[in-house]
Amino acid sequence: MSTSLETDFGTDVGGGVDRRRLLLGALGVLGFLLLWEVASRFNPPYVLPSPRAVADVFVVELRSGAMGTALVASVTHWLPGTVVGTTLGIALGVTMAYSDLADDLATPLVRVLRPVPPLALIGFAIAWIGLNHAGAAFIIAAGAFWINYYAAYGGVDGVSEEFLDVAKSLGVDTDLGLIRKVVLPAALPEIITGIRTGIGRCWMLIIAAELMGVPGVGRELYTASQNLSVDAVLAYILLMSLVYLVLDTGVGAVQNRVLAWQ
Amino acid sequence: MSEDDRRVVVDGVSKLYDRDDGGVQALEDVEFAVDDGEFVCVVGPSGCGKTTLFRIIGGLESATSGQVRLSGAPVTEPSPDLGIVFQEYHLFPWRTVRGNVAFGLEQQAIDAEAREERVDAMLDLVGLEAFDEAYPTELSGGMKQRVGIARALAVDPEILLMDEPFGSVDAQTRSMLHEELLSVWEETGKTVLFVTHDVDEAVTLADRIVVMGAGPGHVQEIVDVDLDRPRDRTDGAFAENVEYVRGLISE
Repeated sequence: MSTSLETDFGTDVGGGVDRRRLLLGALGVLGFLLLWEVASRFNPPYVLPSPRAVADVFVVELRSGAMGTALVASVTHWLPGTVVGTTLGIALGVTMAYSDLADDLATPLVRVLRPVPPLALIGFAIAWIGLNHAGAAFIIAAGAFWINYYAAYGGVDGVSEEFLDVAKSLGVDTDLGLIRKVVLPAALPEIITGIRTGIGRCWMLIIAAELMGVPGVGRELYTASQNLSVDAVLAYILLMSLVYLVLDTGVGAVQNRVLAWQ
Repeated sequence: MSEDDRRVVVDGVSKLYDRDDGGVQALEDVEFAVDDGEFVCVVGPSGCGKTTLFRIIGGLESATSGQVRLSGAPVTEPSPDLGIVFQEYHLFPWRTVRGNVAFGLEQQAIDAEAREERVDAMLDLVGLEAFDEAYPTELSGGMKQRVGIARALAVDPEILLMDEPFGSVDAQTRSMLHEELLSVWEETGKTVLFVTHDVDEAVTLADRIVVMGAGPGHVQEIVDVDLDRPRDRTDGAFAENVEYVRGLISE
């Protein structure tokens, strides 16, 4: 009997879900909800609504279609912004880390531009592109760009010279060939970590990007705060968290699969 | 022996590393040749420039003066004609054993079927057929180096260049790999240039030993090893050869 308990709790980490961690995690969430419930009893609903009240608003917003519409609107600028920013960031990071010439040329520029927060670009987004999805996508792309630039740069910079020597001695004789056959696969762990971090960060950036008036989940959040409907604010925060959870779990699964060799 | 029989000619190779304080002479006028199908070891103390010489012969570094010729043509860059095996293996960790061995073949204009056949033959040669889908992290040091050898041999180089290839494995595995390397050498008829600091290893393997001295790196003497294979380390003649080479190194 005791042995079966041991296997259940101790060593079940290889294949499936670790039951002990799952159990403790669920306990943690329950504890948090309990604290929240207790705290809400001592505060009026416009300061801190109960978990139940938030859940009710969540269901109402979901059923009315408002949530779905907001979500689709957010994804409409989040997805292209993330894809474009990620692609350009990786491209610049790989190029600069691989080529000394590109590195020397662009490093001063990078150091000047790097500290500019994506939010500071709202003025540009409005002036150049307008109060629309493309404008919001621009801000999101700026966020994705730097994360992926640094991840790719670091990854490529860390590729050992010997891999390149081996590849050359086996007949790879162009820079493009070396990048494709050696540099990118060797730097892939860092690059994928960058992509994963970027995807999450960009999802949080939709709040900032929608600040200027573009529709989406962030916009709903603002409207709700301005109306002092704390329950709706919390319902939309919950929506953002759930979407992030699904995204990150999905990307994490892809990451494990692609990097099975580690 | 005419130049035609010579697979590799190291012709007056010197290497000077520029430094702020004037420069370091790593190699001075190194001169020797390796005949077709011959097994030559380069042995010497640390700091004698063996690895620098290895990198110059492999086209990974350039000589300050002199040149290396492979089948008569000067070596200026790495090429599939120079099969390189490193001490630290440097297998591509994101590729399986099969993928590593296939790497060089993928650069060539051969169809997939011929490539797979060639990979199978190489895996068979080093005894790793059963591990073809394993990733390098799953292999022992000895197995990794077998993959390294199979990968270098797959593209059928004119010469196999090995830099302390068995320096990172335990003694037992090393002597097993010695036997395997010799049988691969006999089976393929490849020319082998093998760099090591281990005199026993050099006497076990080589037809001829290029003994190098340090400060700056130069050829001390070239020793013929007239022993039948397989060689027995407990044999008197073996010990004499070892003693002789050791004596040269400590001079």
